[in-house]
Amino acid sequence: MSEPLLEIEDLRVRFRSDEGVVSPVNGVSFQVHEGETVAVVGESGSGKSMTSLSILGLVPAPGEVYDGSIRLQGEDLTKMKRSQMRKLRGNEISMIFQEPMTSLNPVFTIGNQMIEVIRLHQKLDKTESIQQAVTMLDLVGIPEPERVLKQFPHQLSGGMRQRVMIAMALSCNPKLLIADEPTTALDVTIQAQILNLMKELKDELNTGVILITHDLGVVAEVADRVVVMYGGEVVEEATVDEIFNHPVHPYTKGLLASVPKMTGPVEELGAIKGSVPTPSEMPTGCKFHPRCPIATDLCKQVHPQLEETTPQHFKRCFHTEGGVKHDEHERSTIS
Amino acid sequence: MRFFLTSVIKIIPVLFIISFIVFFLVRLTGDPVSLMLPETATDQQREDLRNSMGLNDPVYIQYLNYMADVVRGNFGDSYKYNEPALEIVLERLPASFTLAISSMVVATLIAVPAGIYSAIKRNTFIDVVITGSSVLGKAMPNFWLGIMLILLFAVHISIFPVSGSGTIMHLVLPSITLGTAIAAEMTRLIRSSMLEVLGAEYIRTARSKGLLETVVVNKHALRNALIPVVTIMALQTATLIGGTLITETVFSWPGMGQLLVQAVNARDMAIVQAATFIIAILVILSNLMADLTYRYLDPRIKYDD
Repeated sequence: MSEPLLEIEDLRVRFRSDEGVVSPVNGVSFQVHEGETVAVVGESGSGKSMTSLSILGLVPAPGEVYDGSIRLQGEDLTKMKRSQMRKLRGNEISMIFQEPMTSLNPVFTIGNQMIEVIRLHQKLDKTESIQQAVTMLDLVGIPEPERVLKQFPHQLSGGMRQRVMIAMALSCNPKLLIADEPTTALDVTIQAQILNLMKELKDELNTGVILITHDLGVVAEVADRVVVMYGGEVVEEATVDEIFNHPVHPYTKGLLASVPKMTGPVEELGAIKGSVPTPSEMPTGCKFHPRCPIATDLCKQVHPQLEETTPQHFKRCFHTEGGVKHDEHERSTIS
Repeated sequence: MRFFLTSVIKIIPVLFIISFIVFFLVRLTGDPVSLMLPETATDQQREDLRNSMGLNDPVYIQYLNYMADVVRGNFGDSYKYNEPALEIVLERLPASFTLAISSMVVATLIAVPAGIYSAIKRNTFIDVVITGSSVLGKAMPNFWLGIMLILLFAVHISIFPVSGSGTIMHLVLPSITLGTAIAAEMTRLIRSSMLEVLGAEYIRTARSKGLLETVVVNKHALRNALIPVVTIMALQTATLIGGTLITETVFSWPGMGQLLVQAVNARDMAIVQAATFIIAILVILSNLMADLTYRYLDPRIKYDD
């Protein structure tokens, strides 16, 4: 494989507070190549959003990246000065957030907010940047872009605002696009449109995409590779086909079992018992063991390492493939 | 424009209510005749004056007469100045206006940077200093601060005149006196509003675009943070006018506040009525102004719908 566009290695984020230190991200490693979509999946609190904010250097205070590296085309972002980082943000790396309703500033026009980022990173004069904004809005399928530029966010629907966010994020041709649950807040029909749009644009601009989501339907739709996160670490990583056809980690299996199927008899949906522990009360050993249907004493005491089971398929679990069959697991997780 | 017209129409019933209150308040303070005539006046003289002032008419007739006069802008003559009360009040209005505006300028110059700075430096030493000072500014009575400023900057170090008006130098100490009181309130408002806005998702978006932090704060955050501040400050107009009463008296500033205080002391009821009425109108107008500013700041609000 070619040199990766983004290489995250052993990333660790911590928050110091009066109650002590908590680490929402604990040694996360994965790569993104040009033109590739990597889906990062996991429940709320698994550390996926914090990982993405680390890439942009926007971990909210008092949080900090204290170990590991994030290399964009070989350059370590964690070692960069603030001013260098600012030049990358919105330019080489841009981000689309979950809530299109609140992610745009309500008191400025769409044009103002789009042109701001274009003029900041590209040496264009005002008319040229307006032209660029119009081109981008056109690209994301917004009718009458000139009129939309003069409108305020509240005058647009949720789907339109997310299109604006995508247009804004792509307006400086970023090498890496981070999409943090870009379709969660949208209607299903609009979701499909936005996902198709992202797919098309990615192919056209050869952008690397990190798609953060807990929606496995979305993953199946657009991802090339999948990184499953739990408790601030990667528990399984494989191609999208491998994840859906041969999941090995009990957590991944649990996630898959909780998705309704279009074919076959209607059964009760699987659920993973309990919820993600907060970073301050992470268990010892395997972090998933309190919720794992197949946990053993070993899992309670020893923290498993991420290992390659088959080529390009990594898991963080002591159990081997033959240990527990998928169907059995599915039944056992019904609560 | 339609919004403006409907707002103006809405003012009319409010003015009616105010005129009603003013009418009865003045009549509750006692018999004006006994104030106007010397103690030695005979009962006949008193009765004659009452008749000539219409005070022996039934109350509703008196009210109708009063309203008929008010509608024509006639609040009666001041017995101290022997001139129409409204004219005297309006003559004093520009001086009060100058003081109010310059105090607001002083307040804004202090409060906007202080509020922003303490919000972005939350829970640091500088934040504690700013928040502490604003509590102090709120706690200091206007008359005390005014006298202290006179003592320091007019008596011990003669930079500014002690009192009076005429030059821009006369304006400095009264504006600071009144301005700091407003600034104290405003700083706390801006700080809390700013803190709320800085946590908003569009601020994260702005940062993710690679904007300078100063642009994020002064453009994206401030404009949103000012929306509630403007509303609350407009509602503070009454406090501002109350402040001018005291400040103008302390500095002998020839404004409406000083006039009103003197009129109350002299029981010059025509002036009290006229001034109260004008102040009420000013409060209403400032609220209208706040609505208009609000619309300018927040495009989501459309009044014409």
